[in-house]
Amino acid sequence: MNAATPPPRVIIEEPGKPAQRLDFGWEAAVAAPLPADRGWSTLSLLGIGLAVLLLGFSVLEAGNFVAAQFAQAAWLGWVTLAVAVAGFGLVFAAIGREVRSYLALATVDRARAAHARGDAAAVKAALVDWQARLPEGRARAEGLAEMPIDAARALVEATTLAPIAREAEALGRNAAIQAFAMTAISPSPALDVLAFSWRGIRLVRQVAALHGFRPGIAGTITLLRRVALDAATVAATDVAVEAVLRGALSSRFAEQIAGETAAGAVAARRMILLARAADEACRVLPRG
Amino acid sequence: MDPFALIRGVVGTTEDAARALVGRERLRLAVTGLSRAGKTVFLTSLIANLLAAGRGARTLPALDEAVGGRIRRVRIIPAGTETIPRFDPEAHLGALAADPPHWPERTEDFSTLSIAIDVERRTSLGGLLPERRVTLDLLDYPGEWLLDLPMLRQDYAAWSAATLTRLRQGIRAEAARDFLAFIDALPGDAAAEDALAKRGFTLYRDALRDCRDNHGLRFLQPGRFLNPGPRGEAPLLWFFPLPPTAQGGLAALCARRYAAYLEDQRTAFLDPFFTRFHRQVVLVDVLGALHAGQEAFEDTAEALAAVAAVVSGGNWLERMLGAAPTRVAFAATKADHVPTRARDALAALLEHLALGARGRAEASGAATSFHALAAIRCTEDAVAMLEGQAFAAVRGVLLNEGRGATIYPGEVPMKPPEPAFWQTGFFRMPEFRPPRLDPAGSVGVPHLGMDALLARLLGDAL
Ligand SMILES: Nc1nc2c(ncn2[C@@H]2O[C@H](COP(=O)(O)OP(=O)(O)O)[C@@H](O)[C@H]2O)c(=O)[nH]1
Ligand SMILES: [Mg+2]
Repeated sequence: MNAATPPPRVIIEEPGKPAQRLDFGWEAAVAAPLPADRGWSTLSLLGIGLAVLLLGFSVLEAGNFVAAQFAQAAWLGWVTLAVAVAGFGLVFAAIGREVRSYLALATVDRARAAHARGDAAAVKAALVDWQARLPEGRARAEGLAEMPIDAARALVEATTLAPIAREAEALGRNAAIQAFAMTAISPSPALDVLAFSWRGIRLVRQVAALHGFRPGIAGTITLLRRVALDAATVAATDVAVEAVLRGALSSRFAEQIAGETAAGAVAARRMILLARAADEACRVLPRG
Repeated sequence: MDPFALIRGVVGTTEDAARALVGRERLRLAVTGLSRAGKTVFLTSLIANLLAAGRGARTLPALDEAVGGRIRRVRIIPAGTETIPRFDPEAHLGALAADPPHWPERTEDFSTLSIAIDVERRTSLGGLLPERRVTLDLLDYPGEWLLDLPMLRQDYAAWSAATLTRLRQGIRAEAARDFLAFIDALPGDAAAEDALAKRGFTLYRDALRDCRDNHGLRFLQPGRFLNPGPRGEAPLLWFFPLPPTAQGGLAALCARRYAAYLEDQRTAFLDPFFTRFHRQVVLVDVLGALHAGQEAFEDTAEALAAVAAVVSGGNWLERMLGAAPTRVAFAATKADHVPTRARDALAALLEHLALGARGRAEASGAATSFHALAAIRCTEDAVAMLEGQAFAAVRGVLLNEGRGATIYPGEVPMKPPEPAFWQTGFFRMPEFRPPRLDPAGSVGVPHLGMDALLARLLGDAL
């Protein structure tokens, strides 16, 4: 070594002043990239604009009409007003319900995002919200707030999510049998498709109801989109679908007509898959 | 290789093959490192950062890149009915994040943990096939015990001769003065007196301790003399090396205890944990060895080579059975003790220090790599003004005082330094406070180079 390099040395900063621990801003540096905010598409803007115009102008129109009726006769005015209020009340109630059901599904996203971030407090808050919405009679985990997050998660899984998953599977089995039967008796393939779609949507809504969601139209559409996404993974990761299917179809009723139609088996398999995917899509916490 | 080991090997290989077939591989990772090399901290950081990566945090970018972002989930496998204690990353992390923080205590026993890594398959249809689950088996243990492994290939006479030769040289002779005087005064035919055995043991143990704690030496055997583990200092340990001139009852007693000690270590340590693994990390406190002087530096190299001879080097049969590691990563730990520009030198110096160990690993067909690593980064780059000149240095917060300090770690040579280098005298690097950490570790912990090391070590297996 050349003489120019000095030996190792520790230089302590001004005495008597404790230093802050270093902070590399690690949380921010490693934060999972947020999914790009899709924002509103042109089509939705268009749709919402049209709806606002339609609804807004009809409210104004109705207002004018009520005023005109009052000008004619007081009693006529009152009756018209009552009719208008009742009618628009129902319309707005429906819209409110749609919005609520749509937002309810968003809590699932929030809970999962918090879970992915490892934000224990936010996960627990989301779990409490979600529990409040569960249908009556559903077992709930108690005292989540005091628990470490792992324990809370395991408890929610055992007390609530696992039973829901079992019920969802039962619903899926029923739907599978019905779908199978439908193909056996339906006169035309076109009708099949219609019947399946209707049964499938009903199944998804039933499963969502288990999780405490009562989706309206917008909610159902969102839900179906999510289920479609999850179905890909469920189909791939679950060898159990085949087993459930065999279990369901060995019921005597199905056996009589088994073999008649391959389409029936395919349809039945889809129903079981759909039940699982719907369950996956509605879970507040991702499966362990 | 004895027949039982062969049978175990065949069974292990069959299991590996079966697991690979169903996408449920098990990877045993051996983390070897002498005491204070940073094994416990390494495991804690590895687990925290892998778990965070499994949640989508970008804590290990190089690993992510190496596996094409296919890691889906990482979780700790729930405990079964193991009798071995569980490695507790939460407790370690909690202590590191606490105020005031604590580094892990000296490790006194084994502990194990397995983590499951779910990865998407590599094929283009990977998204449609079931995920693969790779289980990573981890083990923590007292580093001192590692040096019992080379003893398994020596009998008492050979070990005594080698140990005493070493003990009579350099700073060891100074530290072991009392012990050497004791055995030199023993008559050759000393009887098997437990009082003598115990006295010799105590003197020998104290000499080893002095060597480890005050002189930074590492090639110190047997390991349980320095770190007796949960069972304490049992009579099994009451032996010590004796010169070939000692032929009496005491020598016979020492030889018996030596054999019994090794048998005990073999069944408790070597056989269950070190006969079969797939990957190996060798952690070395290169800077600590450098600062402790020439003898400590060379001693560390020798100890590493001796351990590698047992751990990394498989014979042809073991290699064929997949019992020898296929990838061995050497890492100079605590790389945050030197400024960024000196870290390449640290890795280069490690390459020289671990020459013997590397030769062993490569001779048995393993791919080796060298890294500079800080499992938990505790410093930032700074500039130190020394004698009116600016030198690259690091700044951190001292563990005990809680005060900020700028530390110039000296020059890090790229190869074993010239004799003149050692004139500067010893230096003991102070311990630092870890940076601000999340006690739950949900976003992992700040590190340097952990991702590159894992990419190299595990990238092909995921
Ligand atoms: N600055 C810094 N210090 C470390 C790091 N890893 C370990 N250390 C220090 O080295 C000491 C020994 O580490 P430990 O993991 O207990 O070593 P083991 O005996 O191999 O298990 C710790 O107490 C720390 O002070 C690191 O990444 N950065
Ligand atoms: Mg340790």
